[in-house]
Amino acid sequence: MISERLHKIICSTLGLQEDEVEIKDDTLANQVPGWDSLNHVNVITAIEKDFAVRFKSIEVLKCKNVGDLQKLVDSKINK
Amino acid sequence: MFNVDFTKIVNLLKFDPSDPLLFGSSLFLIVFFFLILFYRIFATSKNARILLLLFFSLFFYYKASGIYFLLLIASSAVNFAFGKFIFESKSAGIKRLLLIFNITLNLGLLGYFKYTNFFIEIINDFKLGTFDPIDIFLPLGISFYTFKAMNYVLDIYLESMEPTKSFRDFSLFVFFFPNILAGPIDRASQFIPQIEQNDLVISKEDIGKALLLIMSGLLKKVVIADYLSLNFIDRVFDSPLRFTGVENLFALYGYGLQIYCDFSGYSDIAIGISLLLGFKLMDNFNSPYQATSIADFWRRWHISLSSWLLDYLFRPIQMKFRNLKMFSNVIAILVTFVLCGLWHGASWMFVFWGLLHGFYMSVSMFLQKPKRMLYQKLGILNSKVLKVFQVLITFHLLAISWVFFRVKSFEEALNIFGQIFNFFDYKIIPQFVEGYTPSFILIVLGYTIHFLPKSLEVKSASILGKINPVFQALILAFVIWFAAQIRSAELQPFIYFQF
Repeated sequence: MISERLHKIICSTLGLQEDEVEIKDDTLANQVPGWDSLNHVNVITAIEKDFAVRFKSIEVLKCKNVGDLQKLVDSKINK
Repeated sequence: MFNVDFTKIVNLLKFDPSDPLLFGSSLFLIVFFFLILFYRIFATSKNARILLLLFFSLFFYYKASGIYFLLLIASSAVNFAFGKFIFESKSAGIKRLLLIFNITLNLGLLGYFKYTNFFIEIINDFKLGTFDPIDIFLPLGISFYTFKAMNYVLDIYLESMEPTKSFRDFSLFVFFFPNILAGPIDRASQFIPQIEQNDLVISKEDIGKALLLIMSGLLKKVVIADYLSLNFIDRVFDSPLRFTGVENLFALYGYGLQIYCDFSGYSDIAIGISLLLGFKLMDNFNSPYQATSIADFWRRWHISLSSWLLDYLFRPIQMKFRNLKMFSNVIAILVTFVLCGLWHGASWMFVFWGLLHGFYMSVSMFLQKPKRMLYQKLGILNSKVLKVFQVLITFHLLAISWVFFRVKSFEEALNIFGQIFNFFDYKIIPQFVEGYTPSFILIVLGYTIHFLPKSLEVKSASILGKINPVFQALILAFVIWFAAQIRSAELQPFIYFQF
């Protein structure tokens, strides 16, 4: 499950209306409008800032979909 | 009764550096016919099929690079072992060390064969020492199969796939002859599972698609690329000062078409041949000149390389420097494109070509927001007019960059641009059309076909797949015969072989 908070950060970074975009565990970055390879850096840094966490580069590179990213965030905040 | 000269046949099948087995050559057609014949006979025996393909691929590579087929086997063995070690190792630190060692080994080998003399030249130019160039044979396709094998190890490291237990399967992925010399640089995660299919089932649609790809690839290569280069483009690029601005401009447009037809023609044939063997390779081109931006172009041109660079070079650099926000993109873009240029060959012109693309991409990234606001203000956002305008601008930016890709020095490039800007008289156009009618028609025809909708291609493939196999063979034979008639001289080597 993608948390409301993560959903909100992604949408606000990409300038999307929250209720117009559905993001599920298996959603890929390029399936979200505007989440291209360049904007990726903005999304990741926004998540780090909002949750006050710091990912290792390799951890982000291993994420295959938004679900993986959610798990990564959860693993950091539960530490 | 049959007086067969076996020494001649053996000589024909021996390694000859000037005569690799080019798709479309008579020898290739003959040996491929026998391959398909035996492949069909072994349709129900997976092991026999795989072995046949392995040996044929090794022969194909031996014919192009001689004894260096041993290097190919070594590369396969080493990368297979590294994939296993990285997967099995428990500690993240050791995984990382193994990966660094593996990358150093792969790039070190590639560097030795491809870049040693370039570095010697740099050392000499900067007066850091005096060395003579070394005579090094460049094993064909080394850039392609090294990247193919590296993708396997990198994906295991990034946990995108698990290693295969079969060295045989991994070797077939690396050796696979259709894409070993010039790509597509296929992904192990997509190719290896296809080897494990038990029965050889090729659908009618796939046969139709394969035939269409092989035929269009052959026509692109022989009729458009080779004809244009021999009869028009090479002449202008070899001595641009002897031609007016009009000829230089058309040569520039023509080269964009030539390089596309040459390279995508090869990819088409490679993908088509693979389909006939029951393998689906990744797409490599998607009407690249229909791109509305340089970034869009790189999603459509040499997709197997651009996505490789995106996944394994751009993204790691971008993440490393992510605190710099958009500037992390600039660093990642510039490094990626300079290395992309260098991947194509050891010369400053390729480096500059890459740098120019990096520059295009970085500037357009910063202009993205202001441009959007401007289009919104003018009320043309998402309009057809804007799209046409964007395609035209992108195409011309690309055409400029291709000049640097093609020439050997900046002086030559400046001569071409000088002629276009200083000696251009549109009144000469009718004379040019008259003097170079076939080339002019091919350029116009080539670009027109390029802009036809994709649905037409899908429809043609589906029709071709449904017709009787005898007619399919006849159509294919006719296209091969037609290409042979058009062939101006010997089949020209594919441009991308040298990379």
